[in-house]
Amino acid sequence: MEGIEIKNVSKSYGGVKALEDVSVNFGQDKIYGFLGRNGAGKTTLINILANRIFADQGSVTIDGDTAVENMAVHDKLYCMSEADLYDTGLRIKDIFKWTGRFYGGFHMDTAMEIADKFKLDVNKKFKALSKGYQSIFKLTVALALRVPYVVFDEPVLGLDANHRELFYELLLREYTEYPRTIIIATHLIEEVSGLIEEVVLIDNGRVILQETVEELTGGSYCVSGLASEVDEFCLGRKVIDTDELGALKQAYIMGTRPEIPKDSRLQISAVNLQKLFIKLTERGGK
Amino acid sequence: MMKKLKSVILYECVTSFKYVWIFYAVVFAVVILISTVVGISTGGVELIGTNCLEVNSMVYVGILGVLGFKEDFKMLIQNGFTRKYIFIATFSLFAFISALLALVDTIAGQLLHRLLANGYDSLFGAAYGYGQPVIMNFVLLFLLYITICSVMYLGVLAVNRLGKRLSLVVGLALLLVLVLLVPVVFRYGFSESAREDVVSFLEQSAGFMPDGRISLINPVLAFILISGVFAAGSYLIIRRTELKV
Repeated sequence: MEGIEIKNVSKSYGGVKALEDVSVNFGQDKIYGFLGRNGAGKTTLINILANRIFADQGSVTIDGDTAVENMAVHDKLYCMSEADLYDTGLRIKDIFKWTGRFYGGFHMDTAMEIADKFKLDVNKKFKALSKGYQSIFKLTVALALRVPYVVFDEPVLGLDANHRELFYELLLREYTEYPRTIIIATHLIEEVSGLIEEVVLIDNGRVILQETVEELTGGSYCVSGLASEVDEFCLGRKVIDTDELGALKQAYIMGTRPEIPKDSRLQISAVNLQKLFIKLTERGGK
Repeated sequence: MMKKLKSVILYECVTSFKYVWIFYAVVFAVVILISTVVGISTGGVELIGTNCLEVNSMVYVGILGVLGFKEDFKMLIQNGFTRKYIFIATFSLFAFISALLALVDTIAGQLLHRLLANGYDSLFGAAYGYGQPVIMNFVLLFLLYITICSVMYLGVLAVNRLGKRLSLVVGLALLLVLVLLVPVVFRYGFSESAREDVVSFLEQSAGFMPDGRISLINPVLAFILISGVFAAGSYLIIRRTELKV
């Protein structure tokens, strides 16, 4: 089977369940948003995928090959990490050089061009960079690696607005020129909503949905009006959350958007991805 | 796959190479500084002398054994290498650095012994004399260094696996066993002849035969056995080692 297949994966830390029976598939040449709140289990799943930690149960395969202790998948996957896992005493250009030796798909010219665009000083040692530039270095490596599956774990952490824009621009450019599967793990939904094609939403260690952005936004809506009328409308519908202000009420509903009778005072609007994310994950956090 | 293995071994060796020369620069600078101070304060060269500089290298390879896990494991696992590859690369690094240090220490030991007025005894020379083949000096030092690396590597892997608190308990227990229990059992639990057999076995393992001969093949085999056991233990632990960040 082609793609990344994560099947029934569970992971606990000292009795605390970080992941519970997680099953997800990532197909080829798509941009995925791997969304979840802080502590939802995103990094744990990425670490299992990257063979950094082991699942207690379940399996992870990449194009049919196990991802556990298997050098056969080495040139297929690169996981950029939020944590600093590099040799901090090496100069940036030297880490680029070594990455090029480790991965056949690393393009030094692209890395240097991206570094130049970000004004990343490649002669500096990793430890001498600011937090923001350490993130820039990490995403530069990941962008310059043309392997079939690239995972970005919180890629814009510590980046200012200009650099974030530049990253999204370069990501799209790289994806357009050399299509590959890109998985962006983040809790900054609004920023990536324009990039991603499919969403995997994780909350409290469980995957609560995996749908395309169209399916997700098209399969949900918001109805607002007087509380009594909204309550009546919601009867028999899958309401994920409500907001109330005085006599007014807003309900967020999963399902196909219905037609509202002309004489109705109710208003129906679309729910954007960020709002939907908040509503779907809010209950666990409350 | 061989290309990947070559690249990771190369990474380990190249990125550690420069520190060896920094280490030697520091060691010889300290020796020269101390000799100069002693020479000036005593007004002569009679009291100037040093021995067994290999002890510094033993400390260096001990640190290398610890850092071999702490720093490189993160970097290599980030770059998609399996634990088996990381283990092979790490032990290649230990072999490379041990060989380099053993070579320098052997040459330095032989030269200093001949050049210094007060005489200088290397670790090997002090133990086995200077009538032995120089190549055996190198081989034994190499195996000693790689054994220290293996012991320290296993230790740091065990600490990482057990956690700080449990490691402390296990470490203290081991210390008590080694410092208190073993000497007591050895003194009172063994008969006189058994004690003599143990001492004789240890002496022969170190190459000192009962008839007064020196058999350097014995310590060679002993070091290979000890480092092999610790390396095997390290591999068993690293196979299930998870990244902690």
